[in-house]
Order: sequence, then structure tokens, then C-alpha cells
Amino acid sequence: MSSPTAPGSPERRRPENAVAAQASGGLAGSGPPNPDGEPAKRTFAPDFLTELFRNPLDPGYADAAARKAREGEPAGVRKWANGSVAALTLVALGFLLVVAYQRTIADEPATTKARAALVEQVQQRRADTETLQSRADQLGADVSALREKELGGAAVAQLRDLESATGLSAVRGNGAKITLGDGPTPVNPLTGVRNTVGQVKDTDLQLATNALWSLGAEAIAINGQRLTATSTIRQAGEAILVDFRPVSTPYQVVAIGPDALAKAFRDSYAGGFFDELVSKYGMSFAASDVRGVTLDAANELKLRVAQPNPPLGSPNSPASSGSTRNAAVPHGKASEGGR
Amino acid sequence: MIAVLALLVGVVLGIVFHPTVPPGLLPYLPIAVVAALDAVFGGVRAKLDGIFDDKQFVISFISNVLVSALIVYVGDQLGVGGQLSTGVVVVLGVRIFGNVAAIRRHLFRA
Repeated sequence: MSSPTAPGSPERRRPENAVAAQASGGLAGSGPPNPDGEPAKRTFAPDFLTELFRNPLDPGYADAAARKAREGEPAGVRKWANGSVAALTLVALGFLLVVAYQRTIADEPATTKARAALVEQVQQRRADTETLQSRADQLGADVSALREKELGGAAVAQLRDLESATGLSAVRGNGAKITLGDGPTPVNPLTGVRNTVGQVKDTDLQLATNALWSLGAEAIAINGQRLTATSTIRQAGEAILVDFRPVSTPYQVVAIGPDALAKAFRDSYAGGFFDELVSKYGMSFAASDVRGVTLDAANELKLRVAQPNPPLGSPNSPASSGSTRNAAVPHGKASEGGR
Repeated sequence: MIAVLALLVGVVLGIVFHPTVPPGLLPYLPIAVVAALDAVFGGVRAKLDGIFDDKQFVISFISNVLVSALIVYVGDQLGVGGQLSTGVVVVLGVRIFGNVAAIRRHLFRA
């Protein structure tokens, strides 16, 4: 363990010790007397950090070397004992390293376990959703098949027309496609506030869809989201929600309707309004004819308050309902709570 | 040679016994490792300088580990355990770097 220098050769190491002793001068005053036998002079030591950077070695080594040089190497039992204690220390050190390593390895799963569990849950739920969706599709197909079998041809045709008109089934036809895009949104270099006046707002989309309805559109979808009688177009912060689902720029409003729908839209008030937005705020606007476009069915049309009026001529039609249309009967079922 | 053997013996003992650390001591383990590394690099450098001393090595190892653990303990009691841990790691890290640089100069003359 210790330096194998024989006790009788301090001369050979003298210069080295001198250097080491000098290097340890930082703690002057507290150290042992110099090898020359003079008492240590009290000097102003450099401050702790300077000393730390300049001489990172424990000063004790230099002191010990100096002592050895003065008194000679410890011999016999003492040397052996020192060496074995040092060896034991190293055993403890190896032990410590292994324990720390094992702790680190053992801690690792605990931190990643939670995340892994969450990922697994997400995937599990996603798979569940997929199976449920496919089951719903299957059942829907079964229902329509059974309906066609049970009802007569005329009733089925009427049902299909109603479903198409209300947005409950996919429709196909010619019409117009209105494309609206955000204009530039410069950031004010002084305040850091983004100027969002060039962004498409929910009212713009509402204006476009209302104009299309008024021009004779029979089915409209915004970015693929079919609009129904209960659809909403709302702004939530910077996002626009169509039926509570976010849509983003560029907004494509596809409508099925009369052949000249696109031209009529351009000539209408809405067309002029968007032209002005384009020239003022740099938004993009385009209206073009589309042919043979298919609009998907709406995701969900769930009436929670309004109840379907019994068909005309039904014997148990409630006489109290004044009009045959719009018999909105409120029924506040708590379990039907809002989305 | 004996040093390396002793280190290996310690590693093997740790693997064989696979001790469980009491939870109360867990926060001090990383600090203790850093302190021990400081003592080891100091010892290696002293060896290369030709001034290695067994007693000094043992004492510096034990005192390093104990003092750093004590500092962290006191810091935990005072609510500044994290900051004091950082301080301990910085001081010991500076020393480790300095000693490793000296070792490097010894070994590679660069």
C-alpha cells in the first residue's frame, strides 16, 4: 500500500517533499513545523476557493510525507496495520459504490413505472374505443338492414331523405367549396402581443355557413364536420370549435346545393365581406365549384330536450300540442347531463 | 495491486450480500459516493506524487464521507438540504477535477 521507499533514503525524496510542503503553505500556521525544524510562520493564506482551485490535494499528504521524511517510514507491525486499514477502507469503498449503483438501478423503474402504466392505459383505452366504434358501426348497419326489411320501400326512402336532410347520413352531390385562411398575425415587437385581427373568427364561419344555407345549400361541412340543426360554431380562445371539436386554418366550408352556388356566394353580401377582409387584413378567401363531393354523416345528433313529434295520423297524437312542428317538450333528465 | 484487489473484494461483497439501504440513509448515498471518490482520487494522486500515506488516506476517506453526510443532514433539518448538497458536490467536484488533472499530467505528461 505505502510507498516502498526504504526508511533510510529520505535524501532522495527531499526536493519533492520540499515542493509539497511549500504547496501546502496555504494552511500555514496550523501545519506542523517545516522539515527544517523551524516553527511555521503565520502567513496570510489565500482564501478558501483560491486554495481549493490551486491545490486540490489534501494537505495532509504533504504533511505526512514531511513527517515520514523526518522520522522515517513506520516499520513492522505499524506499517502493516496501516496498509491493512487502507485496504479495508477500499473494501468499504467498493461496497459503497456497488450499493449506490444498485440503489440507482432500483430507483429507475419506480420513476418510469408510472409513466409506463399511463401509456399502457392510453393504449388500452384506445383499443377499447376502436372495438366499441366498430361494434357501433356493425350495430348501425344491422339496424338499417332490419329497418329496410321491416318497413316498406316507401317508408325507407322517406327515412333516407330525412336522414340526409338532417345530416345523419352521408350525402353526395355538386356544390361549392369556400376556403378561408388566416391572414398574417404580426407580433408587436414592443409589447410582444400578437395581432390576431387577421385570423378567421367564428363569426366569419357563421356568416359563410348562413349565407350558404340562404343560397339553397342542402348540406354543409366545415373541415369535414357535417353541420346539423343543432351544430354550433364557437370561438374558444384562438381555436374555433365546430360541435365542440376544434377546426383549424385553412377552413374549408363545403356545401352541396344549386349549381351556381359558388358564384352566388361570391356575389352575395358574404362574398363582398370576405373580399374586403382579404384586402384589409390579408386573409385568404376562395370560392369554387365542386362536383361529386361526398359529405360524411354528422358524428352525433342527439336531441336531449326536443322529442320527435309522433307521425301524422298517428292515433295517439297528443291533441294538446298546438302545432305539428316544433313541439319541444322539455324533459330534464339529470342523467342526460350536458357534454 | 493490493488496492485494486481490495476494491474488487468490496464490489464482490456488495454484489453477494446485496444489502438493503435503510430509507433514512438513502439521501446521503450519492453524497457519500462523491466524497469517497474525492478521497480515492486524492489518494491516487498522492501515490503518483510519491507522498501517499495510508493513515491520511483512511482518515480523509472517513472524514469526507462523514462530514458531507453531516452537512446534508444539517441542511435537511434546516430546510436547505438541496442547496447544501449542491455546495458539497461543487467543492468535492472541484477537488476531484483538480486531482484528476494532476493524475493525467502524471500519466500522460499532458
